[in-house]
Amino acid sequence: MSPTLEASGIHKYFGGVKAVQGVSLTLGGGRIVGLIGPNGSGKSTLLNVLAGVEKPTKGTVTVDGRRVDRWPAHRMVGLGIAKTHQIPKPFLAMTGRENVAVAMMYGRRREAEPAAALEESLRILALVGLEGRADTPASNLSVQQRKRLEFARALATGASLLLLDEIFAGLSPEELRDAISLFTRVQKELGFGALVVEHVMQAVMTLSDHVVVIEEGRKIAEGSPKEVVENPAVIEAYLGTEATDAAP
Amino acid sequence: MKLPKLPVYGPSLWGLGGSLLLLGGVAPWIPVFPLIILVNLLIFAALAYSLNLITGLTGYVNFGHVVFMAVGAYSLGYSVETLRWHPLGGVALGALTALVVSLGIGAVTLRFRGVYFAIASLVTPLAGLNIVLVLPALDDGQGIVLNPAFEPLSWFYTIWIIIAAEVGLTYWITHGRLGYGIRAIKSDEDAAKSLGVNAPHLKLFLFALSGLFAGAAGGVYAWTTSGVFPYAAFDLTFSLLMLAMIVIGGMGTLLGPMIGAVIVNLLSRFFLAIFIGTQFIIIGLVVIVIALFIPEGIVGTLRKYVPELRRILE
Amino acid sequence: MLRLDGIHAGYDGTQVLRDVTLTAEEGAMTVLIGPNGAGKSTTLKVVNGLVRPTRGHVVFRGDDITRMPAHARPDKGIAACPEGRRLFPLLTTEGNLRLGAYTKRARSSADETLAYVYELFPRLRERARVKAGRLSGGEQQMVGIGRALMSKPSILVLDEPSLGLAPKLVSEIFVKIRKLREAGLTVLMVEQNAYAALRIADFGYVMQNGHVVKSGPPAELLDLEDLRKTYFAIP
Repeated sequence: MSPTLEASGIHKYFGGVKAVQGVSLTLGGGRIVGLIGPNGSGKSTLLNVLAGVEKPTKGTVTVDGRRVDRWPAHRMVGLGIAKTHQIPKPFLAMTGRENVAVAMMYGRRREAEPAAALEESLRILALVGLEGRADTPASNLSVQQRKRLEFARALATGASLLLLDEIFAGLSPEELRDAISLFTRVQKELGFGALVVEHVMQAVMTLSDHVVVIEEGRKIAEGSPKEVVENPAVIEAYLGTEATDAAP
Repeated sequence: MKLPKLPVYGPSLWGLGGSLLLLGGVAPWIPVFPLIILVNLLIFAALAYSLNLITGLTGYVNFGHVVFMAVGAYSLGYSVETLRWHPLGGVALGALTALVVSLGIGAVTLRFRGVYFAIASLVTPLAGLNIVLVLPALDDGQGIVLNPAFEPLSWFYTIWIIIAAEVGLTYWITHGRLGYGIRAIKSDEDAAKSLGVNAPHLKLFLFALSGLFAGAAGGVYAWTTSGVFPYAAFDLTFSLLMLAMIVIGGMGTLLGPMIGAVIVNLLSRFFLAIFIGTQFIIIGLVVIVIALFIPEGIVGTLRKYVPELRRILE
Repeated sequence: MLRLDGIHAGYDGTQVLRDVTLTAEEGAMTVLIGPNGAGKSTTLKVVNGLVRPTRGHVVFRGDDITRMPAHARPDKGIAACPEGRRLFPLLTTEGNLRLGAYTKRARSSADETLAYVYELFPRLRERARVKAGRLSGGEQQMVGIGRALMSKPSILVLDEPSLGLAPKLVSEIFVKIRKLREAGLTVLMVEQNAYAALRIADFGYVMQNGHVVKSGPPAELLDLEDLRKTYFAIP
């Protein structure tokens, strides 16, 4: 079942830089939560804290009541929480199938037989439309295909809560449309929940059940996509203040 | 009655295993001098296989590998000379002590990546040397001189067992689930961790194994040379020699360490006879050539460019 | 003065700019606004020579500079103040400024230009001996612009000057930028803070998804509803 991840009062400082300041949010239950904010607002840092890649300076992260803020990333996978990377990181020397197989062998399922994992991988690759490239080395995949592979790998870990770091970035309008419909289709079939950190507004607004807006490390708004884009604080964060008087 | 189906092992394993078995079978009939050379070669190979387990498989370059060998050598020296053990016990102790030391070192150094790990590993033999030089139990670095019986055949079979274990283990690790996890770590450690691979554990596991076997081989080495002396035992150039072996043969492969050991051993002997020190120049040049033109080593490059060989050579 | 024609560009296989065409008229302040990821910074990188376009041309004062290496551009008259300033933290304010006059052309009149920069930003004269790493955000931005001015540019290219600055400081800086424009300097500026930028601009381009979707004088672009729709991809 989909775990409930609860982040409470998360602060993350890198020396003097306060990347995240007191953010709380709840994820789980098959919900898609979008996380948006202007450049440098701390979205990726927050995602890394939730994924176990970074430890919070202050605050707690619990999963189904259990404290996991000090847990490393590979342990979080065991709980059904997996993240993707902003710039895809495929295992370049391995084929698409092998990439996914690693996830099957070390994810929640802990498949012990490589042969079985390689077999099952084809099914996941088919879900994201990569079955034709199953036996090509990942180094030969285009950026868009690598993103799909990254997605497939996260799915293959058996995760029920995905933390997706800008997976819709850098796509042409047609590619974006395909990616959004792919995501919707797969999500409907597998029923996972997700935190979608994004700049690409089309994706976030279309896919999210709930949106959280961050600026300079702080949460400034949350609500449904429609509520959020009509929120004056959010508009100001993105467009600047009307009141800014720069007249000569 | 139907016999259970034999598991299919790769041709390389059969080839290597078969050769080892053959060698083991004819050993009693090999004349003494070639036998000693063979033993020396096998010690080199055993060390190469041990380094292969960490550097070859994960790409973490361990410049300090000689530390484990030295620990093994000293364990044998101490146990035979002071404790009056049989040398075999010394070898076992060497393996065990090196295992413990490797766990200690690995727990700290494996937190670093790439260049930083390499630098940290460089420090360990220096540290080891200086510790040994001041230990009263080891005569403050005077060295240990042994007077064991001259038993080349015992030496042979001891190192033979060690290599057999290493080859078998290398095969088993690379072919199972672990093989995938290791390749993932070598390719992209962060991505591997994000998929559930417990990289810290896996790295430490391999590091410890490499230490264990290097310690055992070091013990056998001390046994064959009847002595352990600090500056020779902790000699960094030996680490470089071991690295040269796996680079030339092919890092992470099953046959690579053996091939590399043969080449390095032969080159060493040949050029040592010409002028001491030249062997290092030659081996160094060979490594540079390999790194520039065929970085995957002999086995790796053959596999890359000759697809037909991929099923046979590994 | 500066024209981008049908520019396609990207990084490592990701295409960011798709057919970008825009012009920065001589003596005018042209601003480039749009949501994150629209390709605004990449466009400036193409202007500065840090990104080579795969298609299209960059024409500066009639010369095709598409293939010109980045380090040759300041001498041509293109000065950049990059995103986040990128000052040399261990050098003093004055050290950073003087380094801006690196090219031969600028070096001979460095003292003169420096005097002008100090007149424009009096605060920098007070902090001349302070290491740049210790300056406040606003002061650093001033040094960034000043350093670019030291190369005696024909066009000043600014990447998100308001980044990390408090609103009051933003107005201050923008007033100074406008002053430069009034003194005849051509300015091309990328800004996320659409309002502040449009208020001092002569002409604006709105980018979305690597493409220019709207352009015109600020009055035409200062439609909140329209901008909101562009930034939040509301159909």
